[in-house]
Amino acid sequence: MQVFLQTLVGGLSLGAVYALVAMGFSLVYRTMGLVNFAHGDVLMIGAYTASTFYTSTRLPFAVAIVSAIAVTGLIGLVIERVLRPLENKDVTLMLIGTIGFGMVLQALAILIWGATGRAVASPVKSAPLDVFGLRIRTYDLVVVAIAAIAVVLLVAFLQRTKRGAAMQAVAMDHEAATAVGIHVGRSNAIAFAIGAGLAALAGGLAGPMLYVNPTMGGTLGIKGFAAAMLGGCGNIPGAIVGGLAIGVLDSYAAGHFQGYSELVVFLVFTVLIMIRPTGLFGETTVSRA
Amino acid sequence: MSDLPGLPRFRTFTFAAGVLAVVLAGGCAAPGESKDSGSSGTGPIKIALVDAQSGQLSSLGKWEYKGAKLAVDEWNTAGGINGRKIRLDVFDDQGDPTVGTNIARKIDSQKYLAMIGTAESAVTIAMAPTLRQAEIPNIASGQSPGMVALKSPFLFLNGPTSTTYDETLAKYLVDTKKLKKIAFISNNGAYGKGEHDAFLKALSGRGITPVDDEVVTTDQKDFSAQLTKIRQRQPQVVFIGAEEVESGLIVKQARDLGINAPFAGAAPQGTPVFRDTAGAANAEGTIVSSPYLSNDTSAATKKFAAAYKAAFGEEAELHGAKAYDGTQIMLTAMKNSGVATGKKLADAIRAVKYEGLMGDFAFDATGVGITATSIGIIRKGTLVKAEG
Repeated sequence: MQVFLQTLVGGLSLGAVYALVAMGFSLVYRTMGLVNFAHGDVLMIGAYTASTFYTSTRLPFAVAIVSAIAVTGLIGLVIERVLRPLENKDVTLMLIGTIGFGMVLQALAILIWGATGRAVASPVKSAPLDVFGLRIRTYDLVVVAIAAIAVVLLVAFLQRTKRGAAMQAVAMDHEAATAVGIHVGRSNAIAFAIGAGLAALAGGLAGPMLYVNPTMGGTLGIKGFAAAMLGGCGNIPGAIVGGLAIGVLDSYAAGHFQGYSELVVFLVFTVLIMIRPTGLFGETTVSRA
Repeated sequence: MSDLPGLPRFRTFTFAAGVLAVVLAGGCAAPGESKDSGSSGTGPIKIALVDAQSGQLSSLGKWEYKGAKLAVDEWNTAGGINGRKIRLDVFDDQGDPTVGTNIARKIDSQKYLAMIGTAESAVTIAMAPTLRQAEIPNIASGQSPGMVALKSPFLFLNGPTSTTYDETLAKYLVDTKKLKKIAFISNNGAYGKGEHDAFLKALSGRGITPVDDEVVTTDQKDFSAQLTKIRQRQPQVVFIGAEEVESGLIVKQARDLGINAPFAGAAPQGTPVFRDTAGAANAEGTIVSSPYLSNDTSAATKKFAAAYKAAFGEEAELHGAKAYDGTQIMLTAMKNSGVATGKKLADAIRAVKYEGLMGDFAFDATGVGITATSIGIIRKGTLVKAEG
């Protein structure tokens, strides 16, 4: 029983990070019908930037993460601007473009920070909580709380603000949206910037849990992408459920299947996707080729 | 994503990308094109250094390059070999065996006399058949017993194998410290598997079965399930067979879960990367089996560390030291044999007796030159030699 619960706790904290990654994927997919393959590498840049502000310039952790979000938000805007001429013409080329951007970001990270990577000290110094023999890290609680706040803010933005409503409209029918005077390009740019900001948030939070290095975007990116697909790509609540599900599934598979856990996670994922091709909260999503 | 409307453009794009890739790959590879510089007896002596310079394992590759370069620079400053300068060209294998086999063919066609590297056993094993056929001697830094099993007369190791590391460790833990309750956590990669098997063998030779044997994947980030199981068995010591970063994460999470037993492992657990990832307080007391405990163990290591610091502005460590030893041996063999190539050079390497940073090298028929390691313990963040 103790193993069962402890595994759940471990899975949920990483799951919260996957959920943030998945939300970034979903937001861009929702508005543009595009899977941003550079997302994992934007996350890595965010993690490096946050850790640099935090450890080198000794800014408070929260300020470091906000600065990192600003930096990656700009990167998101640049990616969108470069891809904009292809919008509504060729999604395949845009996909390849995002892959290219990911490689460029990795190369940039190696140039700036070197290939070795760095460990980030936890900003929360207090010892883990002991709840009936279960150990809960205080930092994990912080991560889960911040992820929850990010979700609330994002949903409020999409549903309660004019700009958010406009983005939803672009997602549903971009021609009609253009006709009523919504600037599609700007809407996409905002989606990309927020998506990149979410990646930085995920990366910044993951830094003290993991290890920051130029290839960290690969692992977190692929799990986050799987989470987004599992939840129903483009669906924000789905991304959260998907993220937590992948995190927990990962944790249990590691306990039961040891060295084969990765294989088992993706087998389960494949079976679920075969049963529900549109994901758990699936809706027929946009495809704007 | 549903259709491919711009197929002709798509082709142009992939073609352009392909050209770009070729250009980039060419840019990364070493500029070793001049035809007359091989074994002809004039021009520089060409040695290839093959290691990951990009990707996840590039820190190993960079350390190894620095060690090898230091040795080559020393020899060049002293006038080279027989009046010829030594040229060390770097090839990036990205830690990938497939890339490695391509490089093996390349260094054969470009007439390199010898090869230093790689730091990854899997890449070295992949390259070995080609190098053996081309008769290019290779001094590698991996420690997998799988390399020895190849029985290639052209393959040498600049350090001990996992068997040595883990036999020393078992001797210390079981024979000296009388610890019986040992738990395992190792990854399923080439390194982790090798460590797991070697240590298990060392234990079973002493009639001991581990109280728990957990295997993780090389990509795993959360170890709650396995560590909780280990905690329930209350081991006296936990053996860890994983690379630097993953070991650090395991130890950090283990301490958070309330496991207070010390961890024990080999070379990766003695590195600053491990200590920083785990956190210095969490890494305290870790027992490490290594041929190179610190820069302060002897006059030779102090001299090496000072030169390393002067050249690269950072602290020397195990992998740089191994590559330095390997390169010194290679260059000594070249000098002794009058810059011979192929089998003659391999025989010259086998004949070299060298007092290096790792210990006293004396190669046997399998290409192993060092069969001893020492035990160190992390105390106040640094590795110190264990007493007794």
